[in-house]
Amino acid sequence: MLRIKFLPYEKAKKEDIKGMLNDLKSGMIIVIDAKLPAEEEAKIIEETMKIVSEKFPGIELSSIEISHSKSETTLDKIKEVIIEKLSGKKRGLTIIGPAKIIRKIEKNPEELLLYT
Amino acid sequence: MVIRHIKRLKNRISLIVRRIFKKKKDIKIGLYGPVNSGKTTLANRICLDWLGEELGKVSNIPHETREIQMKKVDMKVNGKSLSFNLVDTPGIATKIDFENFLRYGLKRKEAKQRAKEATRGVIEAIKWLDNMDLVLVVLDSTKNPVNQVNITILGNLDAREIPLIIVANKIDLKKSDVMRIREAFPGYDVIGISAKTGAMINELYKLILKKL
Repeated sequence: MLRIKFLPYEKAKKEDIKGMLNDLKSGMIIVIDAKLPAEEEAKIIEETMKIVSEKFPGIELSSIEISHSKSETTLDKIKEVIIEKLSGKKRGLTIIGPAKIIRKIEKNPEELLLYT
Repeated sequence: MVIRHIKRLKNRISLIVRRIFKKKKDIKIGLYGPVNSGKTTLANRICLDWLGEELGKVSNIPHETREIQMKKVDMKVNGKSLSFNLVDTPGIATKIDFENFLRYGLKRKEAKQRAKEATRGVIEAIKWLDNMDLVLVVLDSTKNPVNQVNITILGNLDAREIPLIIVANKIDLKKSDVMRIREAFPGYDVIGISAKTGAMINELYKLILKKL
């Protein structure tokens, strides 16, 4: 049975990486409603490497950043940029899953395709 | 949030301070990229061209380079010279499956050991990012460049404001597509080379000198 945990970015930020990795080790897939900053992705990779074992070979991680749509007004875009700067939350999506379950995540600029 | 901003500001200040007080001889050029993109082949090419000896062992088995390797290089192109430490790093990966090594004929014990060393290598490579003055992001130009490892590497270099060159390696192969890399990562300096044959390597040297 596939287990997916949906995490709001604010909660993901508070939850420490080790907690997230425990979920991943137990076979859970994590979906976060934002694009993680590159430094956080690197930190997740670093922490993952510390616990790689025969049973847990690592993770598949992928994120997309959703660009502003053409229909958005300039004011909306400015508002969005301010919110992004203040909260650190980038519009997008991040999926992290155990490599044993997720074979690969294919990515094109605005879509993620998961292969189990 | 505030803590992250303070941390970023601290990183930026320390980077500026390091750049101001760093002696010319301390320059570090790092080779980063995913596994089997040809980082060590490029390191060997550079070392052979300027030192007459290779830096590390190359193999088709993933994670051949599992430790940071460094060599002092003195480069001279078109009358301009540069002394730097060339740092070859292990390939960055999000997973290391020891069973994959078995397919290359490694014994179980060897495969386990290789996997263990490879995980340490990835951690080391990430930690060393902060020490770099220029990074050559080595990508296999026969493969789709839009993958998370490449994006994470570029994102981290951008966040740290470390200058970089994307090296689209393996242009000697039929499937090579440098344009695909240029389109995937607009705004970056991308140069197609073959570390194996040496094609376009002089252009890369010129670009390195221009960047530093």
